[in-house]
Amino acid sequence: MKPAFFTRLAFVILTLFLLAGCKAEGKRPVVKIGYMICNSEQETLRRFAPLTRYLSDACGVDFVLVPVDTHDFEKRFKSGDLTFTHTNSLLYVVLRENHGLQLVASEKRGKFGARSAGAIIARKGSGIEKLADIRGKRMAFGPMLAPTGYLAEYDLMLAAGINPERDLGYYSIPPGSYKHEKLIYGVLYGKFDVAAAPVLDLETMAREGKISPDDFVILAQSQPIPYCTFGAAKGADPALVKKVRDALLALKPTDTAEVEGERLKVMKEAWIDGYEELLDSDYNPIREMAKRVNMPPYQKY
Amino acid sequence: MFRDTFDKAVWFLLALTMAAILLLVARGGEPGDGKRGAGLGKAVEREMAYRARVELVGKLYRPVEELRQSGNNAAALLKLDELIRSYPGEAHGHILQGEILREMGAFDEAVASYVEGVKLNGDYLDAKSPLSRRKEIQQLVDEGLKSVGARAAASPGNRSVAASLQKVNYLKSRLAGGCE
Repeated sequence: MKPAFFTRLAFVILTLFLLAGCKAEGKRPVVKIGYMICNSEQETLRRFAPLTRYLSDACGVDFVLVPVDTHDFEKRFKSGDLTFTHTNSLLYVVLRENHGLQLVASEKRGKFGARSAGAIIARKGSGIEKLADIRGKRMAFGPMLAPTGYLAEYDLMLAAGINPERDLGYYSIPPGSYKHEKLIYGVLYGKFDVAAAPVLDLETMAREGKISPDDFVILAQSQPIPYCTFGAAKGADPALVKKVRDALLALKPTDTAEVEGERLKVMKEAWIDGYEELLDSDYNPIREMAKRVNMPPYQKY
Repeated sequence: MFRDTFDKAVWFLLALTMAAILLLVARGGEPGDGKRGAGLGKAVEREMAYRARVELVGKLYRPVEELRQSGNNAAALLKLDELIRSYPGEAHGHILQGEILREMGAFDEAVASYVEGVKLNGDYLDAKSPLSRRKEIQQLVDEGLKSVGARAAASPGNRSVAASLQKVNYLKSRLAGGCE
């Protein structure tokens, strides 16, 4: 009789333990972070999975990584599906102006920290020595919503009295992924005469030994402007926004997160040097550029 | 006094000891002279090494200076990046990078770069050094205290601005003679 009693008691206790466990796990809210796809969906998933896991661990929330195509981002955000966003700085401005996105933290990478610049480059020895020489030439731009691969360079050309629509031989945007790298290689191997290259990509490719700074002439460079940015929807829980900001600013190169049974270094996987707390007014140069270039969110038809 | 052989032996030994002491005292200056000589040698060596470094720095960073003079700061930065990777312990690259970043309007990054350089080599704060950037660092600090200070006052909770201000204050303390 006694053994049966203890067996039943043990069963009840075990069941309670299991239920308690399930309850705690289920209680963690699920929150979506939309990440702008840079090169490919796979790459975005691989890069940001450890960061998303790190944020989940730090904030006590189950964050879900949602890769979103750059051109679909606004529509997706408008649907209310995404609470946090990780986008380039122009998309941040678009979402801020049109949907009240809050600034959380700005990503640091390369020499300019949380900023980068756009440059117009030509191959050394091509005879193109100054910006005025690009008239009638073949030019490659980066993706259209890229602040330092399109917007900044377009603005530089307008400021120099060159209308890209009229004064170039032609211009195009390389298809597919790795557009920034493609156009830099395109200039190096003669497919294009000039290209709109983000300084960060030039810096990274030189560091990786893919190019040498001596291969190119930099015809013009924009002022440094903010780069990738974390934002939060207008109605997001302020306590959670603070937690996310604190976790991002506290991120160290040694911090790791477990993804599919593997422990990975968060910053290394995401290709970042850390996060910084910029002010929304730091994004004003982008706003001014977008107005001059007639781009979203100020585009007029 | 010399009553027996023992007394004679004692006095002889005493005289011998005294003579030895005198001899040692008389020769005592020589090691010092040697030291002085060695000290002079080291000073000359130091001076030579310093001049060699100044020469080397000038030669190494000439392409960067040429790009800067031709107004191509962006290319100068890329070249500098290569040199900083090749000579990670050399402060000059960080100082040049700070100058270029400042010219390009990246003030906080410029301050951070100067801090790196000064931490690696304090010569840049020495007014008498041929590599001195004391005047430029003083200007940077004056500007930083105003602009970064104003930003910090306007956003007291902003940790990035606070970190920048801390770097400006670090340079200020080094200018005032504070040690690393």
